[in-house]
Amino acid sequence: MRGTLLRKIFKPMFRINLIKLFTLISFFLTLPVLALVDTPKQIIAEDGKPIPHAIIQVGGAGPVLVDKEGKVTANLPEGESILIFALGYDSLQISREDWLAKEIFILKEKSGSLQEVVVAATRTDRTVEDLPLPVTVLNEKAIQETGGIRLSEILQEQTGLQISGDHGAGLQMQGLDSDYILILLDGEPLIGRTAGTFDLDRISVSNIERIEILRGPSSAIYGSEAMAGVVNIITKSTEEETRLDLGLRHRSFNSWNPYADLGFSKGKWSTKLFYDYMSTEGYDLTPEIAGQTQNPYQAQTFQLKINGKIHSKWDVSLFGRGYLENSTGELETSASSGSELLNLDNTRRDFNFNPTLRFTPNSKILMTLRSMSSWFSTVADTRFSADGGIFDFQDFNQLYHRTELQTDFQVKQNQLLTVGLGHLVETVEATRYEGKNRFDAGYLFLQHQWDPGKKTNIISGLRADFHSQYGNRFSPKISGQYRPTKNFSWQASVGAGFKAPDFRQLLLNFNNAAAGYYVFGSTLAQEGVEKLQNEGLIARILLDPSTLGALKAESSWALNTGFRWKVNPNLLWVGNAYRNHINDLIETAPIAQLVTGQNTFSYFNIAQVVTQGIETDLSFQATNNLQLSLGYAFLDTQDADVLDQIEAGELFKRDDQNRTTRVVRSDYGGLFNRSRHSGNIKINYQDQWSGVDFALRAIYRGKFGFADLNGNLILDDESEYAPGWISVNLTASKTLKNGIFLEAGGTNLFNTQTQFQPANPGRVLFAGVKIPFANLIQTK
Amino acid sequence: MNTTLRISLISLLAVSIFSCTEDTPAPVEPLEAILVEDLAAPNDVIDRTTGQVTEAKPFQFFSLEENTLVGENEDWDLAFKGTTIRVNSSKNVTAAVVTGIFDEISEVPASASFATDSGESFAIPTGSGNGWYNYNSATFTVTPIPGRVILVKTSDGNYSKIEILSYYKGNPPAAELNPMTTPSAHYTFRYILQPNGTTTF
Repeated sequence: MRGTLLRKIFKPMFRINLIKLFTLISFFLTLPVLALVDTPKQIIAEDGKPIPHAIIQVGGAGPVLVDKEGKVTANLPEGESILIFALGYDSLQISREDWLAKEIFILKEKSGSLQEVVVAATRTDRTVEDLPLPVTVLNEKAIQETGGIRLSEILQEQTGLQISGDHGAGLQMQGLDSDYILILLDGEPLIGRTAGTFDLDRISVSNIERIEILRGPSSAIYGSEAMAGVVNIITKSTEEETRLDLGLRHRSFNSWNPYADLGFSKGKWSTKLFYDYMSTEGYDLTPEIAGQTQNPYQAQTFQLKINGKIHSKWDVSLFGRGYLENSTGELETSASSGSELLNLDNTRRDFNFNPTLRFTPNSKILMTLRSMSSWFSTVADTRFSADGGIFDFQDFNQLYHRTELQTDFQVKQNQLLTVGLGHLVETVEATRYEGKNRFDAGYLFLQHQWDPGKKTNIISGLRADFHSQYGNRFSPKISGQYRPTKNFSWQASVGAGFKAPDFRQLLLNFNNAAAGYYVFGSTLAQEGVEKLQNEGLIARILLDPSTLGALKAESSWALNTGFRWKVNPNLLWVGNAYRNHINDLIETAPIAQLVTGQNTFSYFNIAQVVTQGIETDLSFQATNNLQLSLGYAFLDTQDADVLDQIEAGELFKRDDQNRTTRVVRSDYGGLFNRSRHSGNIKINYQDQWSGVDFALRAIYRGKFGFADLNGNLILDDESEYAPGWISVNLTASKTLKNGIFLEAGGTNLFNTQTQFQPANPGRVLFAGVKIPFANLIQTK
Repeated sequence: MNTTLRISLISLLAVSIFSCTEDTPAPVEPLEAILVEDLAAPNDVIDRTTGQVTEAKPFQFFSLEENTLVGENEDWDLAFKGTTIRVNSSKNVTAAVVTGIFDEISEVPASASFATDSGESFAIPTGSGNGWYNYNSATFTVTPIPGRVILVKTSDGNYSKIEILSYYKGNPPAAELNPMTTPSAHYTFRYILQPNGTTTF
């Protein structure tokens, strides 16, 4: 048991307050042997729950750790002044007299989201207020109050984040699509994207402890995909001896979500098992058309997490997760011979296995060896419903394996150096790709966290990626924070981001038989065109594939700058402004003309895009039981090539009366599916009499371009915008004395829905219960 | 093929009337645009799974001079099938695609490079964004690119400028267009023919 605790304490020490806690580190491996006392003292939180990671320090002596129940049975070392502290709580300074007089000591939880710990930003633990970067942490309470079952429902209520329904619920951050956002589960990358979208509905939230949202590029530590930002999902760990939570949630569209959360911890080991089942009938926004907007599906998530200490300097953890999903539906195809009904049967599977070994040879070094193996597969089986004949069959299999060694080295009291070294192998096999394809990559990253003075801290990083397909990349980043007063800090960072070409862009071998065109991934372009040439199908080569060279990664430079201002103890204001310059965006372009007049396409680094904006959140603790918050995001996006064309007077638009006019700069609305304005208002109220927590939220998404209608493919006409909308959501929840948790509520209560938002089902009502069986038994 | 071609020969008539009075200089009468609606030019029927043509459809041959569909062996200028537009290379018809506003193009620009069809290339390039149309993969629609004007030197050696307005039956406004239900390959276009052989319109 002490093993797990040590690990928990040791980790924070390395990072949060490099200076303040350093003195403790040097002691913690040589814990003083203390005599036992008869009456243990207990450290608890305001809600009466023990704080299992509290530390007691007397003068300059070594720290004393409490046990799992927050109790300390040892006699304290000599000294008058006693300090009790725990991560996330205000420290308590008392005299020895007070210590002896009382048995229970209550620590006040630190107020505000600035005290939340963030791992994703530096791969070491640091609190929000110490990070020179725009980060948001959603804790269990924030997750719970949304009433969400899937991750998309939690994230869409956050300032500056949008969910768009394109091949799944994809996240949009800083105006960039899901393709450019890295999703981590307990710090390890999740794979499995369809057309670039990572479907957030694959993630059940029942066992999520917190979500870290890091905005701005983080390729300097994560490499590819971390261009717009990173979302790190942290699952719960076991602290109690036994935990058995059973929950059931029900909601509209006949959706049922039972789950079980099981945990034991004994001695140096803790184990956690999680099972989640989700079944829904889906919904249909266009009943006049065959097939539903969201098809019915059943999904299961299994998760196993084992933590243990095998030696005083070694600890180990194992993480395994499985996800199975099956959806069925129908679709109407219109062929020249009339329309026919098709039956869809789609399966998605996702397995992760992730062992980690940590070694702490001394108080200044922490070494972490991680390995991550993932398998993602999809099968889409589409058949004619009349005779069961196959209309289309596609499968996709991706294997991803990564091994990484990270070393954190406390150079000085105020400097922490992190060095990482890793290797990854990826293979993919799919209907539309030929054979089995393998990629190899190696990488190296360096990060230096440095507090040059009391008011400043600087984090600099550099990552080098060596990839078998798209070559080498170097991604630097530097960020700094200046804190002129205790209540105000200013942050700025400049960093590079990149996204490796995806499988499609490299490997696709696709012939649209109906339309008669071909698309080749860049690695196949030459071969593909030669083959067509030999068959006599090519009329003219537009670009010689042999001269094209390899497809480069898409790359960006970004600036983020913001502030955190605790205006008064009850009012916190944070803001961030950003600008992302993205180059070498990959798009398709024709490489050869076929004798039929159709084209053969491949992928090229052609487009350039700018996204910029401001995001700000204001939170106000009005009274003890009333909290208000306001969020607003402004977003501006541009395609540089479109701007050039407008400048040159080469872009035109045509109105309903067939009048053609030149597009002017003020017509241009930027990229599609981006809302210029969005925001939210949240009110949290705890009713003193009933003890019920109410969370009322109004989420606004401003108008956004949905499609080109006037033929020039850009967003430049009022008719091309989908209207803005507001979703009003309410959750009421209550935790009974015995720990039973009850919730009820609804999202999108006013049932605003449009065809432009396929991911928005309209009004959803829900109710749920969670029963902590282990608690119930123990209290009896 | 149930296409109705609205024959509006006003400009042609006007020109021929004035050409009779040879002693007075021909007053500059503005040329009127001719609107051709719903010229149906269905594409080959293709088996979606194999890509094989199961039913080949003929090109629809159109004479700009006569503003009507004609036979393949007659003096056609343009031939339509699906999104492909051919020019009559055997009659030395040439075409160039230029960028600009139809009404503002008062003269064939010197920069326009006229070409005819060859075995290897089309004078009016095919493919989205290359010639006269964009294919919008978000809405699955083919839309004429605004600001693209096709200049054609006809089989009679006269210059003509053409603007394609719609690829869908009835020339529906874009907002009402449903690519799944609105019949495609129905061309609506307008053109002006300069019958006197000059390069001005």
